[in-house]
Amino acid sequence: MIAMDILSDAFFAAIAGIGFGAISDPPLRAFRYIALLAATGHMCRYCLMAYAGFEIAGASLIGAFIIGLGSIWFGKKVYSPMTVLYIPALLPMIPGKFAYNMVFSLIMFLQSIDHPVEKVKYMEMFFSNTIIAATVVFLLAVGATLPMFLFPKRATSLTRHKQ
Amino acid sequence: MDKNKEPLVEVGEFIAEYTSHMMGCGIHTSRVIRSSKRIAEAYSYHMHISVFQKSLILTLHDSETKEYHNAVVDIPALPISFEHNSELSALSWETYDERLSLKALREKYGKIIAAPSIHPLFVLLLVGFANASFCRLFGGDWISTGIVFSSTLAGLYLKQRMSVHLNHYLVFILSAFIASLCASTSLIFDTTSDTALATSVLFLVPGVPLINGVIDIVEGHTLTGFARLTQASLLIVCIAIGLASTLFLVKDSLI
Repeated sequence: MIAMDILSDAFFAAIAGIGFGAISDPPLRAFRYIALLAATGHMCRYCLMAYAGFEIAGASLIGAFIIGLGSIWFGKKVYSPMTVLYIPALLPMIPGKFAYNMVFSLIMFLQSIDHPVEKVKYMEMFFSNTIIAATVVFLLAVGATLPMFLFPKRATSLTRHKQ
Repeated sequence: MDKNKEPLVEVGEFIAEYTSHMMGCGIHTSRVIRSSKRIAEAYSYHMHISVFQKSLILTLHDSETKEYHNAVVDIPALPISFEHNSELSALSWETYDERLSLKALREKYGKIIAAPSIHPLFVLLLVGFANASFCRLFGGDWISTGIVFSSTLAGLYLKQRMSVHLNHYLVFILSAFIASLCASTSLIFDTTSDTALATSVLFLVPGVPLINGVIDIVEGHTLTGFARLTQASLLIVCIAIGLASTLFLVKDSLI
């Protein structure tokens, strides 16, 4: 059952990665690696959160770092820059639920200005969701970019055909 | 002086066009600068460049003749293209390694930017499946997943049709409103309707400028980084306005 949960998480992340990647017109040869990276990164985050007690921010950072490392490895195979592979792969990890709760609590806060208890509840909900959503997006970008600083020479010559 | 050397002005004009195209199609700043400088170096020129969000300034310098070529170029608003990112970056390496003539370089560049992108209908389907998968990842059931799929098709189709005629921000507000309004049909059923509503607008999230913005800031290109993040934030505000409009209509069913 656990294996099924992990595999289905990876499967849906791969489809999400391919679909969101398609909006940004990636080269066709990059699609399978985008799917692979999206699946690995999301699966890793899921396992860390569900079985290792990690919270979403730390797990996202590690998942993004793995995607970044993978993109530096696969980038050379398809002669594509790291960002072409890792940006679509990161998109399924964007904290959409927190972003939605942010908007929802803002509306409810504005609607309950005359009710002190509800007002405070929705304000707290708004700030906690905003902080989580913003931190996760920032850590996703930083985590995936870190390998670029660890292997600068390889990262800047992925599209070079001459060895 | 090398008589076979490509003329400074022509190389400068090409690099200005190449650089502005790369910036326009959503490539992070350090890569754009690196690739442009590589082309200048391939023709034995030195290049200095300042990049802003809407324009760029570059100077090409011939150290033998002490000649300079300056250009200030507007950056066009182009759709994001990872294909151009890969191919134009590879073209700079090819120019550097194989010393392509300027004529050959222009031909290859022309071919790359004229290549057709993925068909919009195919993109529509893929994004529909992607957003539906997103719904599953957030714990939505199969009914919600189906509703999110059709909402995404409606919202993205509208976005594709309106992008040509309408202001960018209006397009985002309307698409988010329509997608979330379609997703609000989930309230009729006994299903995970809040997940369906939350995920229905996520295909609009400007992930590329968000991540490029952070990369630019981390790499020291703070101005362009913040400019990209500001643009992305404005689009997120537009998505929030569209989603909020739907939530105002259906909030009583959600509490």
